[in-house]
Amino acid sequence: MTYGLIARCPRSGRLGLGMASYSLAVGLYCSDTTRANTGASFTLGAPLPGNNALAMRLLAQGFTSSQVLKELIGNDPNSDYRQIGVVDREGKTAAFTGAKTSPWSGHRIGEGFVAFGDMLAGEMVLDAIVQSYAAAPAAELEDRLLTALEAGRDAGGQVGSTGRLPERSALVVVHGIFDYSDWDLRVDRDEDAVDKLRRTHEEFKLFAAYYIERSRNPRDAIPQMEFRGMLAANRKKETP
Amino acid sequence: MTYSIIARCPRTGRLGIGTTTTSLACGRRNESVRPNVGISKSQAMYVRAHDPRALNLLASGYTSRAVMNMVEANDDDFEFRQTGIIDREGNAVAHTGAKCGKWAGHKVGPYYAAFGNWLSGPAVVDGLVDGFLADPNLPLEDRLLLALEGGRKAGGQAAPGNPKAERSAWLRVVDQHDYPEIDLRVDMHTDTVAELRLLLQEFRRYQGYYLERSRNPQEAVPEETFVAQLQ
Repeated sequence: MTYGLIARCPRSGRLGLGMASYSLAVGLYCSDTTRANTGASFTLGAPLPGNNALAMRLLAQGFTSSQVLKELIGNDPNSDYRQIGVVDREGKTAAFTGAKTSPWSGHRIGEGFVAFGDMLAGEMVLDAIVQSYAAAPAAELEDRLLTALEAGRDAGGQVGSTGRLPERSALVVVHGIFDYSDWDLRVDRDEDAVDKLRRTHEEFKLFAAYYIERSRNPRDAIPQMEFRGMLAANRKKETP
Repeated sequence: MTYSIIARCPRTGRLGIGTTTTSLACGRRNESVRPNVGISKSQAMYVRAHDPRALNLLASGYTSRAVMNMVEANDDDFEFRQTGIIDREGNAVAHTGAKCGKWAGHKVGPYYAAFGNWLSGPAVVDGLVDGFLADPNLPLEDRLLLALEGGRKAGGQAAPGNPKAERSAWLRVVDQHDYPEIDLRVDMHTDTVAELRLLLQEFRRYQGYYLERSRNPQEAVPEETFVAQLQ
């Protein structure tokens, strides 16, 4: 009952992940899913959070994505219950959907990305994620990932035995060239986590440049409350 | 406009961060704690790169005091930064630069550091510490959250005319694994610390199920079945 994608932006080389889930705090299981100049990997189904860091270490040593996938499967007696996606720093991909993951489950491999999910309304959910992601190659990776999650939700998202399951948590994370993330937003508990993530995303965009500038030039920075006040005044002007 | 508590649990060796701030999505700073290495949590006019570098130095074997000295030597704007560092033995140090806003300060204990800036006053840091020390037998995440609640009760951030100054909050605890045991985030909310409490309570009901499902998927029931049993 999770869906999303991992991807490498071919323009920038940035690596990212977008996920939405019926489970709470899916982001808790997404530590080490992306690393600058290394790759992206995530294990879902019955998640195995240790797989993420293991995949990053193997990718960092130069293993191909398909070999990393083999190592992760070989290291796990319950791999039948997992879904695994791997993208390396060149955008080469590998993916696996275990036979015992909850239907409908599956994956799609595209140019530099893997879309995957389980307990989905059907394969149209993945098709929608793929089409949405592929449709805007010029956009920033974080925007492409979030828009793809919205497309997956709108195509039916997850279903349980009695129908649609809500997205209760979601995240988008992107790494550029640094040891720390470029973009990392999460919703851990909500009735419509993808929508809440969109609202958080749009709000964060207003502050992102301020946060970077404040860090680089603290001597010239204005206090954040003052910056918030300026934003609020501008909003009022725009919507009288 | 942030207050934080960082600590190494002396009983278990687990490392944890609790923080709340006016900035959005403070939990994106997951580069600030590393299992079996330590914690470096910078704030005020922080630089993201400082925490991972400090942890690299801790991993090399430097003490928290030595690392803080190196962080200072490498930073022309150290007076704008506020930082707490704890090494894997629990040695805690903190720094509050003169230009971190009014009121800003810290309190350091044997295995923890509480610090904040743009606070309503020193009582907030006292509130953090009092909350943290209230029951040393609790799991670290509970102690960290009690600390944040103590800080908020003592006045929180100095934001005249804006009672909803805290917009994000974060609780992260790591043990021996690469991945965290607890990592709960409130990225955008109007009552962040209360929401973080609700989130921890709700997550606790699921935590054992999630762990068991990961380890023994053959026996796991579907999550919706588990949820139905909860109600």
